[in-house]
Amino acid sequence: MSDDAADVQRVLSGDVDAYAKLVERYYDRCARFAIRMLGNRDDAEDALQATFLRAYRALGRYQERDRFSAWLYRILVNQCRSIAARRTHRERVFVREEALLLNAPDRTPAWTGEDEEFVQRVLNELDPLLREAFLLKYVEELSYEEMSALTGAGVSALKMRVKRACDRLRERWEYIRDD
Amino acid sequence: MDPLVQRIVQEARRPVAPDPAAKARLMAAIHAEARPRQSPRRRRWRWLLEPRPLALSPLGGFAVAAGLVGIGIATELVRTYRDGHTTGEPRVLVAAAPLLPVHDTVTKFVLVAPHATRVSLVGDFNDWNASATPMQRTPTGGTWSVTVHLAPGRHVYAFEVAGSNGTQWVADPSAPLAPEDGFGAPNSVVLVGGSAS
Repeated sequence: MSDDAADVQRVLSGDVDAYAKLVERYYDRCARFAIRMLGNRDDAEDALQATFLRAYRALGRYQERDRFSAWLYRILVNQCRSIAARRTHRERVFVREEALLLNAPDRTPAWTGEDEEFVQRVLNELDPLLREAFLLKYVEELSYEEMSALTGAGVSALKMRVKRACDRLRERWEYIRDD
Repeated sequence: MDPLVQRIVQEARRPVAPDPAAKARLMAAIHAEARPRQSPRRRRWRWLLEPRPLALSPLGGFAVAAGLVGIGIATELVRTYRDGHTTGEPRVLVAAAPLLPVHDTVTKFVLVAPHATRVSLVGDFNDWNASATPMQRTPTGGTWSVTVHLAPGRHVYAFEVAGSNGTQWVADPSAPLAPEDGFGAPNSVVLVGGSAS
């Protein structure tokens, strides 16, 4: 039995603190995906809270033959999608207000390659499905088969999304470089 | 991978430092929740699968062993082989036909694009990589072609055409279109080992 499965059994047997081990094991990795996917920490924390709470409530339905991490990621991907859909309108306002607060010009700055803010901005400019596929493939380093199980999309469609995400990022880079 | 994309990936892979208080808030919310329980059905299934020590007396063990030997003898007495003969009958040897090898299928893709400067075949078979399968211009001019080995099955593809107006993604005008993928650029479908659908 894996560490994850053993911890799940301990939780189901009444040891709620065993869930803290699962949280400790996966929280940071999930946080990275949520922040990159949603573009800000407040929404990411909402997604993480909802994900780990939902996973806890559904722990009795978790099947040991599934990898806990894959099961958790499936919940996380769905939570991020829900939050992204809810804030579509709010995001436009947020981005504009954020730019004002930072007293920054309303254009993307030149990039030296080590700027986290810049990377987050170009990721935010991607279509959410392209961004999701790109992050799962290259940042979380999942296989296309794992991604397909998480997202419900076919392997072929996912390959195309990753390819297009790379194309868009390259186009954006060339635009900025030539600007 | 493109060096630019590689740099973005490296930056995006850096660990983030979540707010430690967020984990504390999460665990407080977890403690406020009712304890999760396994469904009775899952518990019964688990009981059946769970290993447990089994106590067996020497006499009981002998009875079980004798029963297993008896089942083995009875099975051999009525055994029927795959060629139809039963135990005791002379065997008829049947030569097995050699397995048919599974071949990849050679498929030729052709596109008429007289003003293009470069054309590539992209599809799920080459991870949509535009540098993987460049097409060759025919000596007569406007036609581009490439021949590839594809495994039998359904493949989605398109052409990446570079010209004076930049690079465009175009579907194969002579093939059926794949279902819309939601990103605006059409793709085509080829069925290898059958007709296109």
